[in-house]
Amino acid sequence: MNENQRVQQVLSGNTSAFAYFVETYQDMAITIAHRICGNMQDAEDVVQESYVKAYRNLHSFRSESKFSTWLYRIVYNTAVTQTKTQMWGDSREAQMDGALLPVENSLQIGMEETERREMVTDIIQRMPKGDALLLTLYYMEENPVKEIAKITGLNDSNVKVKLFRARKIFKELWIKHYREELLFMEES
Amino acid sequence: MDKTLQGRTIIHGGVMIEEKKYTQKEEDFIRDMMQTAKTKAPENLKYRIMQQIETEKTLIPIKVNSRKESGNILKEFGSIFGTMYAVLAVMIAATYFLFGQAYLLSPQFLGTALLVASVFSLLWLISRLDPHLRKKKEAQKG
Repeated sequence: MNENQRVQQVLSGNTSAFAYFVETYQDMAITIAHRICGNMQDAEDVVQESYVKAYRNLHSFRSESKFSTWLYRIVYNTAVTQTKTQMWGDSREAQMDGALLPVENSLQIGMEETERREMVTDIIQRMPKGDALLLTLYYMEENPVKEIAKITGLNDSNVKVKLFRARKIFKELWIKHYREELLFMEES
Repeated sequence: MDKTLQGRTIIHGGVMIEEKKYTQKEEDFIRDMMQTAKTKAPENLKYRIMQQIETEKTLIPIKVNSRKESGNILKEFGSIFGTMYAVLAVMIAATYFLFGQAYLLSPQFLGTALLVASVFSLLWLISRLDPHLRKKKEAQKG
């Protein structure tokens, strides 16, 4: 059964069919909300509210677009409205621009899975919210630029530029973090 | 994934960005790293969402019923008064052909027509009063 058929099922009164959408997209929805809200409690509330909004407005869902894109757009808007976050135009972006490092081989690092996760989470928290969100949508969910543009309301070229800068910031923070770790290990 | 980004120059707001610096190796590395940092939704979130949606669902039939009811009022109105006008039309036609035009203007005929109109109006009034009283009774019970 495809997603459009499931949508039709929900619209015809079978509420339990909506559980499929909750099950399938809740992890990504909470990841997006977490990037914007910055804490899990608010992110959970945002996701819950977004799903209820999606259910209420399911009749307005156009099957030409992907359900995930439509849902993530609702999550994005709800989170931004609730937190009153300024997503784009962080001053940090400009500061980082001049401090980019050529990093070809420095990314080749052997590391434990949990250690890696902690490090990535820490880096993401240090990044500007908008950049962290773009990397999340692009790499985690493998969303194409067009879908990211639909979710965030930016235009395609804006997404590409911001994504490019986000990658640079991520790389720089990664190297910085890794060097700090090495220094700490050497000292101890 | 948008592979067209590789080896491209983007011009945006006067800023030129050399995309080709980013190798596939770096792309794969960032992707691997990002995949590890997916936030897991808590176990009870799905339950909470579905619970709230079920509650929402219980509210929807009330809206549907009220819409249905307003449709019923018009239907009832149309059918009762439609029948009344049909009866009056038959009465007028029969009187005209049987007793002539003069009888149509007589007080006897006008009285009969008024009686028919009153009966149908009463019927419509009862049809509206009945659900209203029933609703009131249910509200008092609830």
